[in-house]
Amino acid sequence: MKKRTSILGGAAAIAATFVVFVIPFIFIILMAFKDRQQSALRDFSLPTGFHFWENVVEVVKTRNWMMITAFINSSIITVVSVTLLVIFAAMVGYVLARRKTRWNGLIEFLVLAGLMVPPAVVPTIWLLQGLQLFGTLHGMILIEVAYNLPFSIILYRAFVATIPRDLDEAAIIDGARPLDVFFRIVLPLLWPVTVTNIVVQSVGIFNDFTNPLYYLPGNANATVQLTLYNFQSQFSTAYNLLFTNILLITIPPLLVFMFFNRQIVAGMTAGAVKG
Amino acid sequence: MAGLELRQLRKSYGKVEVIKGVDLTIEHGEFVVFVGPSGCGKSTLLRMIAGLEDITGGELVIGDKVVNAVEPRDRGIAMVFQSYALYPHMTVYDNVGFGLKLARTPKEVRDQKIREAARILQMEHLLDRKPSQLSGGQRQRVAIGRAIVRQPEVFLFDEPLSNLDAALRVDMRMEISKLHSELDATMIYVTHDQVEAMTLADKIVVLDGGVVQQVGSPIELYKHPANLFVAGFIGSPKMNFVEVNADKIVGETVHVSGPDVVGVPVALPAGKVHPGDKLTLGVRPHDLVVAPSGAIVGRVGLVERLGNETIVNLELPSGASWLAVLDGDQALKRGESLALDVDPAKALLFDANGLAVAAG
Amino acid sequence: MSASTMAGSPNRAETRAIKRSPYPGWFFTPAAIIYSVLFLVPTFASLYFSLTRWTLFDSEFIGLENFAQFLREPFLIKGLINTVIYAAVTSGLKVVVGLLLAVMLTSQIVGRGYLRSVIFFPVLVSTVGVGITFTVLMHPTQGMINETLALFGIAGPGWLTDPNLALYSVALVDVWKGVGLATVIYIAGLVAIPQDYYEAARIDGATPWQNFWYVTLPLCRPATSTVITLSFIGGLRTFDLIWAMTKGGPGFASDTIASVIYKQYQAGFYGLSTAGNVVLFILIALLVVPLTMFLNRKQGHE
Repeated sequence: MKKRTSILGGAAAIAATFVVFVIPFIFIILMAFKDRQQSALRDFSLPTGFHFWENVVEVVKTRNWMMITAFINSSIITVVSVTLLVIFAAMVGYVLARRKTRWNGLIEFLVLAGLMVPPAVVPTIWLLQGLQLFGTLHGMILIEVAYNLPFSIILYRAFVATIPRDLDEAAIIDGARPLDVFFRIVLPLLWPVTVTNIVVQSVGIFNDFTNPLYYLPGNANATVQLTLYNFQSQFSTAYNLLFTNILLITIPPLLVFMFFNRQIVAGMTAGAVKG
Repeated sequence: MAGLELRQLRKSYGKVEVIKGVDLTIEHGEFVVFVGPSGCGKSTLLRMIAGLEDITGGELVIGDKVVNAVEPRDRGIAMVFQSYALYPHMTVYDNVGFGLKLARTPKEVRDQKIREAARILQMEHLLDRKPSQLSGGQRQRVAIGRAIVRQPEVFLFDEPLSNLDAALRVDMRMEISKLHSELDATMIYVTHDQVEAMTLADKIVVLDGGVVQQVGSPIELYKHPANLFVAGFIGSPKMNFVEVNADKIVGETVHVSGPDVVGVPVALPAGKVHPGDKLTLGVRPHDLVVAPSGAIVGRVGLVERLGNETIVNLELPSGASWLAVLDGDQALKRGESLALDVDPAKALLFDANGLAVAAG
Repeated sequence: MSASTMAGSPNRAETRAIKRSPYPGWFFTPAAIIYSVLFLVPTFASLYFSLTRWTLFDSEFIGLENFAQFLREPFLIKGLINTVIYAAVTSGLKVVVGLLLAVMLTSQIVGRGYLRSVIFFPVLVSTVGVGITFTVLMHPTQGMINETLALFGIAGPGWLTDPNLALYSVALVDVWKGVGLATVIYIAGLVAIPQDYYEAARIDGATPWQNFWYVTLPLCRPATSTVITLSFIGGLRTFDLIWAMTKGGPGFASDTIASVIYKQYQAGFYGLSTAGNVVLFILIALLVVPLTMFLNRKQGHE
């Protein structure tokens, strides 16, 4: 009896979520396979011919291979800023959790403020210009680090608190200097939360649209999210290409999702519930 | 050769002073046990010696150097933690060798030292395992092995056995004792368990409230406790106490009486107490014997007959309760009246400040 | 680097009065520099520049004029109101739908793995991509949604073209994309509730509804407060989805403060744009601080 309701309920839930969550993705894929004419109808029909490869080639070649540039830029920004985020946030989270000083209250306040306060856009642009960093990948990387530090710090601080302090002290007695304790003992033990950080932050930074829009203007510096936007205005009617583009930039998050599903879920909830 | 000297060592957290001026000399090769109730400052004192806690005042000398500001790694010490503190991500081999690796010891030397330590502790077969694959006793061995390879002048143990079950604790106690005689090193050992202290120590340091109460050999502390605290803390079951006044003094014997006892004789050199002095009489449960004419009379409460001895709960007239451990099997009934006596040489007296009135 | 290599020999160390902490304060330095320069300095600078007429090269102090303009211009006020509506609608829906989905996914339902993946995946997808896709799907005449509704004889509304509806349509897409995270947070909260409570409730004869109302709901309050806080702050700051879908239109019908900030920036009104930033900051502070205090009242946060 109970089993039958759970099967019925499951079937209903599967059907409903299929309509709501899966069909939009199928729609994207179908559109990416169509030719320009058919895609203009924007309906949920099977493609009349297989046009996926021509669409991909055209999307990639558009605007002087802008897609390639954008993928390279986005990859550089993502990899470098996530690396810096992991190291710097782990260092802060570690000392913040271990050492009680009168500064802790202030630091924790600043971390929370960073989660809440919206960045002041124009003054940041003004500042970046002053530092000769406006419109450069360096500047964009530093911005991503600055904006995402608070979340990473919160994740790390909560996790460091679960590593017994005895381990640090045993290492200190064994002759470890502060950098040895951090890099040889603590950082390896932080691995689970580091994976979470890498996955969550790289998806977030790769998908970031707003910050590159403000701080990284110019076609040479385009990131993948901006190609989408530029693209839309250029091919307002070329829906096949637009959706091919959407499909292409969805591949990296999809890969991340397939490999790290468990860690993302574990990490996001750990950070959110405990933080 | 490394002895230690603690000179007026102090530690405070803000305004709270937890170590209130400790003076102590530890000879090379001694096995010293810090014992006291929880919160007495024994672990803090050990951690100050290790260099894990800053020293607020006074001087700490290891060997012939003042080491107040010396980093732990340069103090010639090794420490075994209550939680073992094994690095979870390293094998036993790497755990034991971590300190040597940090000191850039050549690989062959390192390997030889690790295997030597493993041989001493009979854990060669565990070297490739991770700590999570070890039992409590095995982890304890690894923690000790990690200390041994450092070849320290001074071993520090912070309640190392308290996470083990009773049987294993006895084994490891003997093992540590054996290690001490083999390694010829100074060992400082913190515990709250006075049996561990009595069995292991050359010298016991009893701490309470951040102050050293008494320093001495186990038997000295047992026979001649310096004050009420030490008298009550050392020995099991606990010493019995009762408030008395000095009655009369006959030669080297003082007779004391109180609401619960009448005319108990205590051997004491003349001139130490005067008639009328307020005192506390202390008698160990094992020193009480059944004597129909005994000076200590009470009503029998709970009786535990263990065959070789009988433990009796005695209710004194004022309602205070004493424990007596009597030889052999005594068929005592609950509620009956029982008179006990004590050898005058084994009864102890403490003055109004709680200090022992010295017998010798 | 220097702190570790300077530790030195015992003899040198002997002369030092105080030992170094094993947790060096300089570990804060790299993060502190980046965060201060690129986040704190602009934030404080915004307090000044919001009081100016500003061209990036020079600024003229005009007092509270920018803020006065904000309160005078109807479309700017509209943006302010829209922002609050958007945040309230999205966070409210995420709480309700997220909790229901989580209850469903923690029950003995068939296909849990599939359901969980499908609901969570949109969280990881590009917001702009989602926005563009739904803009196409929500087209009043050629969009798939209205075409499907037409099959059932229903005349679908102009989701993004009706000024009264546009903001809510975008909010709906926001929920579509974000509800997976809320669900996952709720799942963690529900799994943490000890089974004893449900067993006790069963012995007391509770119905499933009573179970939900008297056991589940109160005991997953930490998750609720997390979901509300996260999605409310996110909702107040939202920009990319609105920009991808309506650009604030039609007219100013779906403008939020964040889109106003961008429009003023594009138009070169840097002082006004910065004032928008400050308004958004004040709005978040005024709404979120009391909200979190209310959500966390009498609750040891651990």
